[in-house]
Amino acid sequence: MVFNTLTFAAFFLIVVLVHSLPLPWKQRKINLLIFSYVFYAAWNPPFILLLWISTVVDWYAAQGLVRAERQSARRAWMLLSVIANLGMLLYFKYGTFLLHNFAALAGAFGVHYSPPPFDIVLPVGISFYTFATMSYTLDVYLRRALPARNFLDYALFVTFFPHLVAGPIMRPTELVPQFETPRRATMQQLCFGLGLMTVGLFNKVVLADTFLSNAAERVFDGGKAPGFLDGWFGTLAFSGQIFCDFAGYSTTAIGAALCLGFCMPDNFRFPYAAVGFSDFWRRWHITLSSWLRDYLYIPLGGNRHGPLRLNLALMGTMLLGGLWHGANWTFVVWGGLHGTYLIAERRIRAFFSGYRPGPFALFGLGLLTYALVNLTWVFFRAKDFTIAWQVLRGMVGMNAAAKPILATVYIAVVATIIPLLVAIHWYMRNRTLESALARVPPLVIGVAWGLMIFLIVISQGAGNAFIYFQF
Amino acid sequence: MPSSTSSSSRQTAADRPGVAQPVPVRDIPEHRWLPILLGALLLATALIGGWEWHWRNFGAIPSIRDDAALWARERGRIDHGEGDATVLIGASRTFFDVQLPVWEKLSGRRPIQLALNGTSPTTELESLADDPNFKGRLLVGVAPDVFFSGYEYMGDFFKAYGKQSPSDKVGKWLSMHFVEPYLAFYDPDFALFTVIKRQDWPLRKGMEGGTEVRKLTQVDANRNNYMWPKLVNDPQYRALARSIWSEDFGGPPPTAAELLDSKKTLYLQIARNTAAVARLKARGITVVYVREPSNGDYLAFETRVFPRKEGWDELMAHVQVPGIYYDDYPQLRSGYELPEWSHMSRESAERYTRELYGILQGKYPPADGSRW
Repeated sequence: MVFNTLTFAAFFLIVVLVHSLPLPWKQRKINLLIFSYVFYAAWNPPFILLLWISTVVDWYAAQGLVRAERQSARRAWMLLSVIANLGMLLYFKYGTFLLHNFAALAGAFGVHYSPPPFDIVLPVGISFYTFATMSYTLDVYLRRALPARNFLDYALFVTFFPHLVAGPIMRPTELVPQFETPRRATMQQLCFGLGLMTVGLFNKVVLADTFLSNAAERVFDGGKAPGFLDGWFGTLAFSGQIFCDFAGYSTTAIGAALCLGFCMPDNFRFPYAAVGFSDFWRRWHITLSSWLRDYLYIPLGGNRHGPLRLNLALMGTMLLGGLWHGANWTFVVWGGLHGTYLIAERRIRAFFSGYRPGPFALFGLGLLTYALVNLTWVFFRAKDFTIAWQVLRGMVGMNAAAKPILATVYIAVVATIIPLLVAIHWYMRNRTLESALARVPPLVIGVAWGLMIFLIVISQGAGNAFIYFQF
Repeated sequence: MPSSTSSSSRQTAADRPGVAQPVPVRDIPEHRWLPILLGALLLATALIGGWEWHWRNFGAIPSIRDDAALWARERGRIDHGEGDATVLIGASRTFFDVQLPVWEKLSGRRPIQLALNGTSPTTELESLADDPNFKGRLLVGVAPDVFFSGYEYMGDFFKAYGKQSPSDKVGKWLSMHFVEPYLAFYDPDFALFTVIKRQDWPLRKGMEGGTEVRKLTQVDANRNNYMWPKLVNDPQYRALARSIWSEDFGGPPPTAAELLDSKKTLYLQIARNTAAVARLKARGITVVYVREPSNGDYLAFETRVFPRKEGWDELMAHVQVPGIYYDDYPQLRSGYELPEWSHMSRESAERYTRELYGILQGKYPPADGSRW
């Protein structure tokens, strides 16, 4: 079920009403669990089995971890969880990719191998919930957390519908304790949660789907080589689209949870105001980047074993982070570019360790960061390397014979929205939405809120899936 | 959970490496949010009401949205107990010109309308030929430019069939019962970006202009479609619709290579139809092709680019099933109102349906003795 659909609106209304009934807390949690399964099954019922497998395996793995006395037994339980989760992920998400690459590799050695058809559907959100359940066993293994006291709280942590299919990727320590005591949203939380949902849906339906997706689609999927202007505007449009799409999802999810009385963490912190790439990754998809840091980068050695090992850990983490987004080498290159940026930034920072940029230099460095991030988006958005190179060539003015692709309306829309978006990110750089709203007069908030609802309705979004669902 | 003014330095997992993440705290800005929400809802309702009023003034009438979900509902009837029904496939002329309520009165049963605007029926013909659930009668509409070019403007609908999630189905049901019958502005033609896109934007140098087809249809829950009355009643809008078609009628004559390509495509379409019809005939299914009327500049274009001899006659020679070419039947040839040369007004379509049904039942009754 997608947030920007009538089905979800009806579903959510029922959930809020049922959750507010004066029932025992355990019953209300069971209701939430059932609703969460309905939410997932509404997309493809049989894949609920995968969700159950992931849930049950990690529950028993964590129990085993607690009971195990020897380190080898603890490691075995941990590996069971990792192998089960990554095995599902490998099979469903990377099966075709691995087979095709194996065939290509065999071909390079003169062995003809034609893989059998491997036409399977990717279960929605599998990358998100496998990471969430893995963090449960890994936290117990690393002795950062105790296992949940009961299966219901744990199952609800895995399945809780606001974060289930596209994050924020929750840690057990963030959510399980919230299920231990009765919760019901106050009127303030309910109203503000609805406000957050409106902001999220406005980002998704109006900005991402209505205004920005078309320009990106025409440049990246139109089959024509773009010129300088089209190459940049298509890429800038995508930079806005992916932010508004994914941050929109996260904000809607956070709002939905708040309407039920639960708190979820920020997943974005105005990333297009980042200065440098370490800053960018502290602002973009925070729950994934911190997951990769805690469960991959640090175990790989982090910054504890000298610069070479650090760089290898950084690059390995970013390459795998790239691959997490999709079974395609373009995502690996995207991750590799970010890894390269991060390594280069460390060296530059070490070289200019005493330098403190003034406001203009800071803004300039921010714009440079944004421009370089845009170059990586080309690989993220392009379906293959041919398209990526075609767009990149256009962006540096090497497609001399290119004909215009984007009509004036698309240019005007991108030229209006993207500078506004970047300006807002800069204004909000050291603020939170809540701290900024606290200073805005209620009348202004009400008018803006009403306008957002109006624009969402008249945009007539077609219930397009969020981009991150495919990951 | 504190409800204090938010701290601008709220920490996230990014600030806490390598530790168990604590329960997040979400602060609520210090305002009275209920009055703000009610005010926002009031404003949004007023604005939406104004928008609705604007489009109703323009001539809009609530209509069911002809999307993939609606088409799938109709297509699904074949696979869910109505496989012996009469099925209509074709492009927009079959969609506009055949009025299902009239047909139902004559036959006692409402046919399943699967025609799609701007889309060749050949892919659907092949799908029905391979669907053992289909045992009824088949009318295949032929609009020469779409049919012989194999163009599939709404080809995604075929691919989406059978892939609708439970959520999609519920969403369409909700929309058909609570939104579409009441809101005239809820139509792709009046969507925000469509409206913005249609403003008089300057053309970029080196870019070719081209106007997208405007709203022409009104659809009901059974996919019965009739012409939007504005097209009949508003001369300016009618002229606009004609001018949009005319954009495709000009252009330089095709090069030798383009001509060869178009011939290849035409023969490919005929071959695909021949093979599919053979499979249907082998299952005892009655198939009839119908070339619906067109007139004015549209007919002139079709006659020039897809002459009857090279298109229709060639198709009939191959498929070896009955065909009804409107020009061969006085009752189909004249007296119909086609405001933009291609589709009939509702009144004309109702008369045309009666005449067409009479010919079908009188001249080509189904072999099994059933009614069309």
